[in-house]
Amino acid sequence: MVEQTRREFLKLGLAAAASAAMASGIEIPLLGNQNSSMQTQLNSANTQIANLKNRVSTVVGFLSLSVAEQSLLEKIVETIIPTDADPGAKEAGVIYFIDRALAGDYGQSANMFMDGPHILPRIPANATTPLLVSPSLSWVNATGGSTSPIAYPGGNLSTDTGPVQGITASPRVGSGINYQYSLNLREFWRVGLDALQKYAKDPNGPYKGPFESLSATSQLTLLQDLWDNKPTSFNNILPSDFAYELTFMTWAGFLMDPIYGGNQNMVGWKYTGYNGVNFGNFYGEGQDQKALMVATAPTRLQPASLAQYQQKASGSS
Amino acid sequence: MPTTITEPKADVVLLGVGYMSGVIAAELSIASLNNSKNYKVVAITKGPYWDYVNDFSMTKYDEWGVGLGRKYDSPLPLQSATIRNTPYQFALPVRRYTMPIQYHALGHGVGGAAQHYGGTMGRQGPWGYTQYSSTVGRYGSGFLDTVNPHNDLLEDWPLNYSQYEPYYVEWERAHGLCGDGNGSSTNSPSDTGYPWMSKNYPLPPHPLTPVATAFRDATEALGYHPFPHVSALASQPYTNQYGVPVNPCVYDGYCGGPCDYACETGAKANAAYRTIPAAINSGNFTLVVNSFIFRLVTDPTTGLVTEAHYYDPQGNVHIQGINAGGVFFNGMWGYNMIRIMLLSGIGAPYNWNSDPTMVSGAVGRGITNGYLPYKGTNVSAKLNNIGGNAYAAGNGSGGSVDIYDLMDDNFDHSATGLNGSPPFIGGAEIGAGGYPGGGPGNITFAGSVSKGSMGGTFKTSQKDKYLQTTTMLSSTPLAHDLPTTDNYVDLDPHYTDIYGDPLCRLTYDWTPNTYNGAAYLVNKVKEIFTKMGATSIQVTSQVGPGAAHNDWWGHHLRGGCRIGITQSRSVWNKWNQCWSAKPPGTNPPVNLFGAGEITNSYGDNVPSGTHVAGAQSYRAVDAIRSYLGSPGLLT
Repeated sequence: MVEQTRREFLKLGLAAAASAAMASGIEIPLLGNQNSSMQTQLNSANTQIANLKNRVSTVVGFLSLSVAEQSLLEKIVETIIPTDADPGAKEAGVIYFIDRALAGDYGQSANMFMDGPHILPRIPANATTPLLVSPSLSWVNATGGSTSPIAYPGGNLSTDTGPVQGITASPRVGSGINYQYSLNLREFWRVGLDALQKYAKDPNGPYKGPFESLSATSQLTLLQDLWDNKPTSFNNILPSDFAYELTFMTWAGFLMDPIYGGNQNMVGWKYTGYNGVNFGNFYGEGQDQKALMVATAPTRLQPASLAQYQQKASGSS
Repeated sequence: MPTTITEPKADVVLLGVGYMSGVIAAELSIASLNNSKNYKVVAITKGPYWDYVNDFSMTKYDEWGVGLGRKYDSPLPLQSATIRNTPYQFALPVRRYTMPIQYHALGHGVGGAAQHYGGTMGRQGPWGYTQYSSTVGRYGSGFLDTVNPHNDLLEDWPLNYSQYEPYYVEWERAHGLCGDGNGSSTNSPSDTGYPWMSKNYPLPPHPLTPVATAFRDATEALGYHPFPHVSALASQPYTNQYGVPVNPCVYDGYCGGPCDYACETGAKANAAYRTIPAAINSGNFTLVVNSFIFRLVTDPTTGLVTEAHYYDPQGNVHIQGINAGGVFFNGMWGYNMIRIMLLSGIGAPYNWNSDPTMVSGAVGRGITNGYLPYKGTNVSAKLNNIGGNAYAAGNGSGGSVDIYDLMDDNFDHSATGLNGSPPFIGGAEIGAGGYPGGGPGNITFAGSVSKGSMGGTFKTSQKDKYLQTTTMLSSTPLAHDLPTTDNYVDLDPHYTDIYGDPLCRLTYDWTPNTYNGAAYLVNKVKEIFTKMGATSIQVTSQVGPGAAHNDWWGHHLRGGCRIGITQSRSVWNKWNQCWSAKPPGTNPPVNLFGAGEITNSYGDNVPSGTHVAGAQSYRAVDAIRSYLGSPGLLT
């Protein structure tokens, strides 16, 4: 497929673009074979190449995000933390933080409990049919219980006075029991980004174009729609669950130690007035942390990163 | 191929190596403390032996890897827990570590969950031990059922405060607690309202913050009795009664969630830095790490526990037996303490029924919670004249001041006394003025993101957030949580650990006593904040009974393995010895002892849980010595 794509590419006499793509090590996705759509795709590809070249000169590339995901996510994180007079997600390199997280333990859900059954929360209250779930054999053996499916009718205890509870709990978005999908987080992001773009492009929806092409105001409104669960393009994923992940990871990329790819040049820490691993005398300021803790007025410290701290502690500079 | 390995027998086998096992390990392995008897002590933990010098000192300043990645915590793929609000619901498994912290199965390795806590401590006062009879005596026999339907507080503790007091002193010496009294004006046994002390805390309190000073002055003016917050972080260099040296706190600001509370100097007390080193030095102690205990084996005739079985990291099964007359000590944390007994068929498992008169059993019964829901009853306010460095976070709650006056029965709980507020018993320890940051808080903030956390306006609100020119005050009174028959732990029918054994299932919801207590106390806190000169005071009450909520669980859940005076509904007797029999009437496993679990959650539930159990562990030391000399049911 790849060779065929390249041949078509060359046949159209666009060798310059092709060589640029190959020089960047990027396969340009030419998915259609109808000439009418080729020019649009190539324009888009050329733009991507230009963007990528810019990136290659400043950072070290991507480990997980696809080209399409890169351009989409870049605009999302810049919407969540825009650049104004001060640096935002763009200058902090948030997209690289997320990319590396998705390529690592976070994306693999390496420290998550992922066993089935995967019962999605928020089954509506007052369901007429009880939830039926088969027990594990080890439970049957340990307790002498029956192997028949167990019925969960939901409902209140007699002592409760509040609203009727659903069959399953209604966890807060972002709580430890909220994520009940069988997808690992890398898969979740892939599905989520795709669904977000579908929602943006939906000709019957409010935006009718790729997220990247929307105005800043529309981009923010669209992300707010996710929190309100307005899109229907997410199938069995709750859009607010994905919105949580986007917002959480964007701020994490702005504020975590630079060793993880975000918070570049510690711009997030400088913006929030956070000191990193400078306990008051990292740069010879002569401040005492014990005194800083009981001070009645703030003292701004130049932040230090974990890498700086370790270098200093190891005696190298 | 995994094989089965039989280990050399011991006199004392400790299940889990946290705070409580650490006390037993030090006390029973040091021959000079045991009439020169060289008892052989073995301790088994599922995690590693964390070392603050090598594990934490260079790498803990990493909010992403440590604070959220939880690289020092119990891995959830190994074992999780499931949670629900009512017995009619399907319980969802905890699938990930997020913020706010949910500490399910958190403790991992030597030191256990105390490797990841703020170091907050506090004794349970005299009323706590007699709250059943005191309440019935003062407010009438029907009062408890009125304030908390399906009430399961049915009796007092087996011993009273005066009997536990010497054990508190030992616990405080061993771990180097900081403080200066508990607000008792006479500090004598005649004061039945406050935790009087026969000996003050071994170390002085941490430096008070300006907010703490303001709180102290305001509460004094209102007639309360403020005292410095009790902390398990050494404020000075210290050596405990076992000769273990302790470094003091360095106040570097990394003490909370962002570093998962790991301490890089060992100032923050836990078994790894206070008691286990002494046990190791004794020559009578064997520490078994990275080993997952999955069964206890009992003798069907005598009822005694004979073996503990555990997996090593390669999947081999090890059998740890005991010498004749030897003991086991269940020092596991929280639900794991219950789970190993349920998996092993030890003790009478709790059987829930919607009719509170029809419930039976003891193991798993009566869990309570030391935290209000994530969005709970709260009062916030602003102090315009005090700023500070919110990046500088100290030792959990260190630098603050507390009062005990709104706790226990230290005020009138009758309808007249509460002046129309819905009824409850107990109260909360109220405090303010902890080091302002509470940690850099980035992860907490990031984990609590919402729709409003996007866009330029929100970004602007975050500018210089760690450089405070004013102080926001916030207080959530953690009111007394009483056990009910509807809150319990059993084995989950659907989910298993990595070895295929059922997980613990927690069925819990906050109780009316807790809500009503918080709703009353929050207005008392409002008065204090007003006296402090605060402005913009706001009181919120966002949840009530019946609301589905599963947040803020886990790390302060307790109970479910109760000490008591009635054998049929408690697991431990007054000697912290297991007397729960399955089936009833058969021989209980009297050579099994436990970290003292409290009858119910208490007052400011956060401090007292560990501290109260700590006193119990010294009680268990006495009991185990007695048993080793003359095996049998202690009376």
